[in-house]
Amino acid sequence: MCIRIDCDMAVKEQVNLELRRLRVVLFMMLGGLLLLGGALFSLQVARRHEFEQSLHRQSMRRVRLPAARGRIFDRNEICLADNQPCYCLAFYLEEIRKPGRWQHTVDEVNERMKKLTALIGRRSMIAEQDIWLHIRKRLPLPLVAWRHLDPAALARLAESSVDMEGLDIYIEPLRHYPRHELAGHLMGYVGRAELSDEDLEGFQYYLSEMEGKAGLERMFNYAMAGTAGGQLVRINASGLKYAESQEKEPQPGADLVLAIDSRIQALAEQAVGDVPGAVVVLDPSNGDVLALASSPSFNPNQFVPFLSSAVWDEQNKDPAKPLVNRAVAEVYAPGSVFKPVTALAALSSGHISPETTHNCPGYFMIGAHPMKCWNPNGHGQVNMRKAIEQSCNVYFAAVGLQCGYEGIEEMARQVGLGKKTGIDLDREASGLVPGPAWKKKMWKDDWRPGDTCNVSIGQGALTVTPLQMAVVAATLANGGTVYRPRLVLGIRDRAGHYTTNYPPVAIRTLAVSPGAMKTVREGMYDVVMAPSGSGGRARIAGVEMAGKTGTAEFGEKGGHHKHSWMLLFAPFERPQYAVAMVVDEGVSGGLTVGPRLHTLMDALFNGDGKKADG
Amino acid sequence: MREFLSNLRLLRRMNWLMLATICTLIAVGVLFIYSATQTRDDSTARLFQMQLKWALAGLVIYLATTVTDYRKLRDVSWWFYVMAVILLVAVLFFGTRIYGARRWLMFLGVGVQPSELGKLAVILAGATLLSPPAEKYERIPSMWWLFLLAGIPMLLVMKEPDLGSALVYAPLVMAMLYVAGAPSRPLVLMVLSGVVLVTVVLGAVALPARLGVTPEGQDRFFRAIRLSDYQRDRIEVFLQPGKDPMGTGWNKRQSEIAVGSGGLTGKGFLKGTQNLLGFLPRTVAPTDFIFSVIAEETGFAGSVMVLVLYGLLLACGLYAAMVARDKLGRVLCVGIVTMIFTHVFVNMAMTIGLVPIVGIPLPLVSYGGTFMVMTLFALGLIQSVYVRRSGL
Repeated sequence: MCIRIDCDMAVKEQVNLELRRLRVVLFMMLGGLLLLGGALFSLQVARRHEFEQSLHRQSMRRVRLPAARGRIFDRNEICLADNQPCYCLAFYLEEIRKPGRWQHTVDEVNERMKKLTALIGRRSMIAEQDIWLHIRKRLPLPLVAWRHLDPAALARLAESSVDMEGLDIYIEPLRHYPRHELAGHLMGYVGRAELSDEDLEGFQYYLSEMEGKAGLERMFNYAMAGTAGGQLVRINASGLKYAESQEKEPQPGADLVLAIDSRIQALAEQAVGDVPGAVVVLDPSNGDVLALASSPSFNPNQFVPFLSSAVWDEQNKDPAKPLVNRAVAEVYAPGSVFKPVTALAALSSGHISPETTHNCPGYFMIGAHPMKCWNPNGHGQVNMRKAIEQSCNVYFAAVGLQCGYEGIEEMARQVGLGKKTGIDLDREASGLVPGPAWKKKMWKDDWRPGDTCNVSIGQGALTVTPLQMAVVAATLANGGTVYRPRLVLGIRDRAGHYTTNYPPVAIRTLAVSPGAMKTVREGMYDVVMAPSGSGGRARIAGVEMAGKTGTAEFGEKGGHHKHSWMLLFAPFERPQYAVAMVVDEGVSGGLTVGPRLHTLMDALFNGDGKKADG
Repeated sequence: MREFLSNLRLLRRMNWLMLATICTLIAVGVLFIYSATQTRDDSTARLFQMQLKWALAGLVIYLATTVTDYRKLRDVSWWFYVMAVILLVAVLFFGTRIYGARRWLMFLGVGVQPSELGKLAVILAGATLLSPPAEKYERIPSMWWLFLLAGIPMLLVMKEPDLGSALVYAPLVMAMLYVAGAPSRPLVLMVLSGVVLVTVVLGAVALPARLGVTPEGQDRFFRAIRLSDYQRDRIEVFLQPGKDPMGTGWNKRQSEIAVGSGGLTGKGFLKGTQNLLGFLPRTVAPTDFIFSVIAEETGFAGSVMVLVLYGLLLACGLYAAMVARDKLGRVLCVGIVTMIFTHVFVNMAMTIGLVPIVGIPLPLVSYGGTFMVMTLFALGLIQSVYVRRSGL
């Protein structure tokens, strides 16, 4: 009995021990779960950002999306530069991916390309190594296999029974110049953009973007480029695209509206023709550039989507330098077209009056050296108006010496020579108005009377651009106001709201008396309208015009290389157009340029403009 | 028949909270297996249906076990043990080789993992061994018998090789001995020596390179202690988190990113990107790494809910042990609860990088037929102990 109780006691004690230990086990386990809870808190709450970043880094890719480039319109809303869809055929590897090694997928792409080649009629632009490169570098993006699909190929594709899974038409915007060569130099061209590290900051991938490399495309790239957007691509563990979402819509670039009138531009280009030369047509009332052409021109479409080295070499090696915009980037000796400036300076000096006469025997003695007039027989007694009409070198040399060089230099600068006009084009040349200081510096020599005589007749070191001479013509046309040539009227967004307007800028009004201006204008009137005027060939029916021809020798003396010039404004009263045209090598201004300007002005005033436009 | 009906009446007395917890965990498992396999278009996409079928089968077994008197185990536990050992030997010869280890036996097209049966066999036989019938109460056998009992299947499982599963034997043997009343000093010593052993192995992986021991010497040491290359890799990855993120370290790192990026409230059901994008390897997402999927999609809130569910389950299990009418019931419950706890702890801890990666599934939640049925059978035993509790 006693043992039995002991036994019960022992059993009870044993059970109690077991229950105590059970509680210990329970607490240890709950402690273990609590530990897990703490670790989870650390991971999911305290350090969550760290892991979110890791997740983002490994599964998100940002692609820079180029914005639609702004367009260029002329003053009548005719489009000169636009974007055209370029149809590309692209493979989407995330849909084509074959299980196993990448080689299977590459083989599949190759297989499909073979079938498509027959259908499209042209080999794909990518080879096997390009596929591998794509897999390594740009896996989440579409793999473009054909570019520039023509409508026929697109139609064949649509009608065919080809398995289009993992294959899609992909549209790339391409720059397009609907008028081709027209205003090519003004447009300039685009090329592949070189994106800076700053542009690419935060992007893993980018698509090829274009960037203005010359002309207006370059000058207004900042406005037309727009703002690139971004696309977020979620990739899976193999690096293939899983999903995409637009992160930031690209903002299309702004459109440019030019002062150019493409009808006049076309006529101007036709007027110059095939010979190297340049022409600028300004509106004298506000400086608007109605046409600005350089010959030979180029077709900016040749530079799209990128310039082939063959075309580049061809353009650069051509002695006619088709890529140079002669109207602004080339400098010429003005020759006689400078004489109106000399005349204005002389008449403003107080020493010369319109009635001041000089005798022209055919030559002029500067010290012991004779300077020839272009007419070896001489012009006899000439006054200012006659001297302009006859372009008498002797007269201008004489009045140049009489009034002194400072006045001429000052007047040349007043009309804008020797300095860039500030037109919105790149590579503008400033030309040169020489002077004593310049000569001292360049030639370590003093300014001599012969230098004054040379500049007075537009020779010597004096150089100008055709655009500068057009400004001179416009200033003479409007009676003395120098305008900054206005090429761009404004910039506006896609919705048509102008964000920037460029009002006409009158730089200054010449300090010349109305009488002096009248005399010079009348002299120029005679150049065109008088029976003996050197610019008679430019004359057209029904419109009174004024102008000045010029022929400037260049190159070696006696080499008979002559720049032929002509300035023109019309109608004589209330002029609408001020024109400067130069032909690099010609016989003379009157013979070479006169007929060309006749064609231009005849078409402008009398001709059927629509015909030239079409 | 009358006995069976009276047993059936016992069902009314079962721990309903525990059953509810089990069903909730199973439901969570099925839902997130679906989520983990949603992008698959092969047979894997049906895994959640398979899991549901296994769970239903398991619940039937669960109820059947509940109504069966656990005391009958005394008669069958040894047979069960012998059968498990035979299967463990068989799997070494006839097992299906997956990733270099023979862990599966195919019976009529159904795969069985004998190592799962082994654990249960040790618990049943151990409980029987540790709780002799009342009349021989004072004759508690030496703890060495239990070590021998557990040692045989443990070594066989190691041989497969499946070190992770083998290590689960240790804590459950310890817990059973402890609750059965074994002297605490040798137990503490044993736990300490286990800790020292683990430290030595971990140190052997990490240190020689720093101490200047040649790679050849290192290799000789690892051959001597039979640690395979992949086990070494896993330990190295655990010790050096930055190591080889694209190779061996991949699973660990991706699992941590999944859990961590889940944040407080998660990304939403079916929206876990780590799983969707395949960063969390597809082969393990519905099985060993199911908790990563849950934690990513439900966040800290959801993870804690899962922890609470397991806490409830474990507490219910140990409560059953406390109210058990005899020692067999107590030791049996402790063994089963410890096994489940060990799985839960090791699985979650590996998911969040607290322990090296070992292939141990999350009970009731990870995809796996054998394990599901076995777990429910074990939990049914606990319920069987509970419905026959003392003081009624």
